[in-house]
Amino acid sequence: MGGTAYLFAAFSITWAIIFFYTFSISRRQKSLEIQIDKIREILEKSLRP
Amino acid sequence: MTRKPNFLATFKLITFFMMFIALGAIFFYAPVEKTMGIVQKIFYIHVPSAFFAFFAFFITFVASILYLFKKEHKWDVIAFCAAEIGLTFCTIVLITGPIWAKPIWNVWWTWDPRLTTTLILWFTYVVYLMLRGVVRENQRSNFSAVFGIIGFANVPITFFAIRMWRTIHPVVITAKGLNISVPMKHTLLLTFIAFGLLFSSLLISRIRLEKMRVNTGEIKALIEDKIHFG
Repeated sequence: MGGTAYLFAAFSITWAIIFFYTFSISRRQKSLEIQIDKIREILEKSLRP
Repeated sequence: MTRKPNFLATFKLITFFMMFIALGAIFFYAPVEKTMGIVQKIFYIHVPSAFFAFFAFFITFVASILYLFKKEHKWDVIAFCAAEIGLTFCTIVLITGPIWAKPIWNVWWTWDPRLTTTLILWFTYVVYLMLRGVVRENQRSNFSAVFGIIGFANVPITFFAIRMWRTIHPVVITAKGLNISVPMKHTLLLTFIAFGLLFSSLLISRIRLEKMRVNTGEIKALIEDKIHFG
């Protein structure tokens, strides 16, 4: 394996880790937004006369 | 209310462009090192990752102290989020290091003081995050804060390992400054700025997410109480 292959591997893995971490944050945020929407629905139903 | 997300979106966009500029500088501006060749360019992601991992653990340390003194929940959130991001950067260090070591030292891993202390540091913060998942909620913040303070002791040991013991790990930052050429210094500075922006943007997003999670949990508990007990 030449120097370029090692360089490519290092940069690819670094970008992959950053991408997956960012993706995991956005996925967790989406899941919380769904929960908030459900709470809003429950509250709206309970506040209806 | 809408100003904060816009600020974060702009900040993320600047980070994204800065990362591209840094990549351009690494591949098209920084010269190829004579002895190690092109593989030396791993240095530009390895060193800033290590610096921001240490910095993140320092934030955990300070926030843990502040939590124990003030008992304000925000410090526990900051400590936890910084530890998670620090661990991410530390993982990058532990992966890029052996990839750089293989063509230069002819081994993926050696039990050198710097490498060993970095691995111990990584395990320390893995344990910190795991501990938060198993400790009871009423004890979690106190336990984590104590662990965050004790765990930080390994950071200066890791940093000074290459100065205290005989090691094969190169010493780039000396008392005379940086042991690299001027274009290399410029590129390193650019990557430091890019990684700094990335670190800040991840930390802000993660803290915001954690606060949102805690608030949602509290509201859910209140609603459930209301349903069960009228």
